[in-house]
Amino acid sequence: MKVYALSVVRAPPSTTSTTLSTATDLSSFSFYQRPSVGEFMQFFTKTIAERTPQGQRQSVQENQYTAHVWNRGGAEQLAGVIITDQEYPVRPAFSLLTKLLDDFIAKVPVAAYDAPAAIAFPEINAYLQKYQDPRQADAIMKVQQELDETKIILHKTIESVLERGEKINDLVDRSNALSAQSKAFYKTAKKQNSCCVVM
Amino acid sequence: MPVQDRTNEFRACVESIRNRSSFPQRGAEAKQRLLTNGKGPESKSEFSRTASSIAKDISSTTIKLGKLAQLAKRKTLFDDRPIEISELTYIIKQDIANINKQIASLQAYVKQRNAQNNKSPEGKQLDEHNHNVVMLLQSKLADTSMTFKDVLEVRTQNMKESKDRTEQFMHSTSAAASQAPSNSLLFGNSQRQQDPMGDGTALSPRLDIKGKGRAQPNSDILALDLGAAEEGQGSATGDAFMQMQLVEQQDNYIQSRSTAIESIESTIAELGQIFTQLAQMVAEQRETVQRIDADTVDIASNVSGAQRELLKYYASISSNRWLMLKVFGVLIVFFLIFILVS
Repeated sequence: MKVYALSVVRAPPSTTSTTLSTATDLSSFSFYQRPSVGEFMQFFTKTIAERTPQGQRQSVQENQYTAHVWNRGGAEQLAGVIITDQEYPVRPAFSLLTKLLDDFIAKVPVAAYDAPAAIAFPEINAYLQKYQDPRQADAIMKVQQELDETKIILHKTIESVLERGEKINDLVDRSNALSAQSKAFYKTAKKQNSCCVVM
Repeated sequence: MPVQDRTNEFRACVESIRNRSSFPQRGAEAKQRLLTNGKGPESKSEFSRTASSIAKDISSTTIKLGKLAQLAKRKTLFDDRPIEISELTYIIKQDIANINKQIASLQAYVKQRNAQNNKSPEGKQLDEHNHNVVMLLQSKLADTSMTFKDVLEVRTQNMKESKDRTEQFMHSTSAAASQAPSNSLLFGNSQRQQDPMGDGTALSPRLDIKGKGRAQPNSDILALDLGAAEEGQGSATGDAFMQMQLVEQQDNYIQSRSTAIESIESTIAELGQIFTQLAQMVAEQRETVQRIDADTVDIASNVSGAQRELLKYYASISSNRWLMLKVFGVLIVFFLIFILVS
């Protein structure tokens, strides 16, 4: 389950879009394929961002890539695009896009949108790397995973408590027998003392 | 439940009770006045007429909703009647919007009368009654809308299931390839009529998607309508239709988020149950452990008592030796005397 590319695109409603910030992870492709794949991703990103109306989310599948796009619109007219493989879960992809766009709007001023090459937004790379494993990065999935682990631990605990119960039952029986035997021992010792006084 | 007019029964009851018991003359006259006042149907106020018509509409909408629920429950693969269902859905939607508007106008009328009326005690009671009736109608409408939403959810679920089953029977890859682009295209722009595969296999998934596409915006409008109905303003219906397109796509994401969070919530509840079970098992075992404890104490006391006895015995044995020595010494002396004598 991999994320191939993550980008922030400025998508005004009717005109062409401009990519403001991109991060890609093409390490799974062979060295000679990388440039062409990278270009394909850029083209894909731009096309998708242009074709999504404002305030909408969309998911498009192309061969073995799936692109999720979220056109935020608003005053900055930004859209976030993420290209992943087919296994990547959809919901964390969209929540990543939301987070990314919010972060971008907070960090990069609107005036810098006209010079895309000058925009420095290194967090996009950090996001890309972090979300390669969505189970750890997405809060909801992480909580779910921890809950599942806790459930497993609790099941093991219940099994050991059951075992403990069995051992305790065994102990009860043994202590009962031991108590009876010690009582008999005491009686015998007492009897020894009183009757048939040895000379 | 249709609204029944049981005023005549009520009046007959009052008459019979009055004849049976002995009321003072004044009370009887007052009741007589009330009864004669409420007699003729011409004296019904405009308010009660509007209220009764709204109630009739609500009851008819509920009947239609029942029919829709029955249609939506059908799970057959081929006999599905999407056209009927979507028509019925549309009609019910219109009815609910209509009723909403009527209730809003009724409430405006009530407010207007409130402003006009002087503070006579009768007027106050009348206002309270009107207010209560409006609240009742609004709550009935809210219930109907809730039921409507449930029915739509059932319907979308069934359509999802039937779509999965259709994919099983028909060529899976072609259906999947036509799914994603047609999904986005249809959701984004419902006017485009593309046929992605060009053969008949794309038809039924497409119909399902179209039905689903129409079913989902209904739930969005419903959410907005409910908010409007609860607040008692009737103005949001027009905007609701326009916001349909925008809210559609958000719904998928938001729904998936809510399902994820619901699953987390259910997991947490399960964990709570497991903890309770665990505590119960340990509490059960506590009793047994207490028994073991008591037994061990008994064993300790028994063994120490036995040791005491043995010590006493040992003491008595060692002290007895002197007596034994004495007895044996006397015997030996006698034996020696007898041997020496003989």
